[in-house]
Amino acid sequence: MKKLWAAVMAGVLAINILTGCPGSGTESKTAAGNMGDAASSETIQENDKIGLKATVGGTKDQPAELLIFAAASMTETMTEISAMYKDIRPDVEIIYTFDSSGTLKTQIEEGADCDIFISASQKQMNQLDISADPSINTEGLDFIQEGTRFNLVENKVVLAVPDGNPAGIEAYEDLGMDKLSLLCIGNEDVPVGAYSMEILTSLGILDQLESDSKLTYGSNVKEVTTQVKEASVDCGIIYATDAFSAGLTVADEADKDQCRQVIYPAAILKGSNNKEEAEKFLDYLTRNESRAVFEAAGFTMAQ
Amino acid sequence: MDWYPLYNSLRIALISSVIVFFTGIFAAYYIARMNRAVKGILDVVLTLPMVLPPTVAGYFLLLLLGTKRPLGIWFMENFGIKLVMTWYSGIFAASVVAFPLMYRTARGAFESFDETLAHSGQTLGLSNTYIFWHIRMPACRQGILAGAVLAFARALGEYGATSMLAGYTPGKTATISTTVYQLWRTDNEALAFQWVLVNLAISAAVLLTVNMLERKSKGK
Repeated sequence: MKKLWAAVMAGVLAINILTGCPGSGTESKTAAGNMGDAASSETIQENDKIGLKATVGGTKDQPAELLIFAAASMTETMTEISAMYKDIRPDVEIIYTFDSSGTLKTQIEEGADCDIFISASQKQMNQLDISADPSINTEGLDFIQEGTRFNLVENKVVLAVPDGNPAGIEAYEDLGMDKLSLLCIGNEDVPVGAYSMEILTSLGILDQLESDSKLTYGSNVKEVTTQVKEASVDCGIIYATDAFSAGLTVADEADKDQCRQVIYPAAILKGSNNKEEAEKFLDYLTRNESRAVFEAAGFTMAQ
Repeated sequence: MDWYPLYNSLRIALISSVIVFFTGIFAAYYIARMNRAVKGILDVVLTLPMVLPPTVAGYFLLLLLGTKRPLGIWFMENFGIKLVMTWYSGIFAASVVAFPLMYRTARGAFESFDETLAHSGQTLGLSNTYIFWHIRMPACRQGILAGAVLAFARALGEYGATSMLAGYTPGKTATISTTVYQLWRTDNEALAFQWVLVNLAISAAVLLTVNMLERKSKGK
């Protein structure tokens, strides 16, 4: 009995420890890091094979790899654009990591390999840019290559409702009413979450919603979108583009008084081993072909 | 400091432990008696949540309980209750994940039970129910209690399936584990650390209980 008990305990605890769930943030951090490591070591091996000096990253003779960290809301458009880019530059392989800009910023800060960063808000870009105001870039991080940063596209912050709009939410103003029981927004470190809080603050209902426990938080815009799509919540605040790609009904759109412009800045990172290719790809993003993809999904090109 | 997550975590863990205690014992008792093939299959199915990542368990639960999924729709139409994004969604998540711990430990205890004791009870004319509660259960007490304590601890620490099923709504669905993750994400390290300490204290208490149970069994 005693022996058995000890064995059961040991077994059960071991399994428990194995399946224990660490923060998913850490997991994706390591995953991204490993991916980068694996990619570079592969390139080194290839170089060794053809007897070249081992330089990480591509030159004109060998396939180049571009590691792009982009806001989760760009998943569909960027994937489409990279497929088009493959036709004109088959020798460039693009590897994306899509997540909330806040998570991506942390990963870059922790040293993840990355050539291009496209954030859904100026904030995360500023936090990595030494030329930004020290009140925003509080840690004095210097990850952004000078002169490569520009505003790529603009998005809109919308109030999306599930099929049939069960709670009958018609406008941002309705969020203060009793008919709302649960609203899903992004965390404050997620750009769309910060924009959402700005809107709720301008309506003067943020504190009320918080104290009524009517706010549930998603860790990136896609999670919020899924919650709305599954009708787990009455409505959610997401980007026009996400509502569009998920086929959700948009009840209201934030105007300029409620929320500042949603600009997506893009830049090449200082640590990039492939600045030349990165620059070419960023240039492609502003051309007409890419523009058509962005606009079809609900983005507008930034001025 | 808002203590809601502690209250909610304890409430979810306690209720799911009670559910899992009875269902786990029930399953362990009856499955041990089934024929080999059925036993093998049921055993795998019932133990799976222990070895699967909790997010996979959460995914399956969402396919079943989501507002637009079969059980979710049924409950909404018949009782007007939503099964996801509420505090009790955490009970579903915690029960499924903690169940195998109770089930496996109870089964191990039942298997080491000397069946001749039950048989002698039968020759004395005792009912099977009486034998179960007055002979089998006391004899397997240690294993069953240990299973219950482990199930409680697992339910208390549940994160993956809970975050998918119940989300994070402060004051409503927030548990200790989802609160720690949320605070870490939003850079509130000091408060996250306080909750980590709370969690450590509870987990240490649980392990201490297990050790005391073990010592008691040694003393016998």
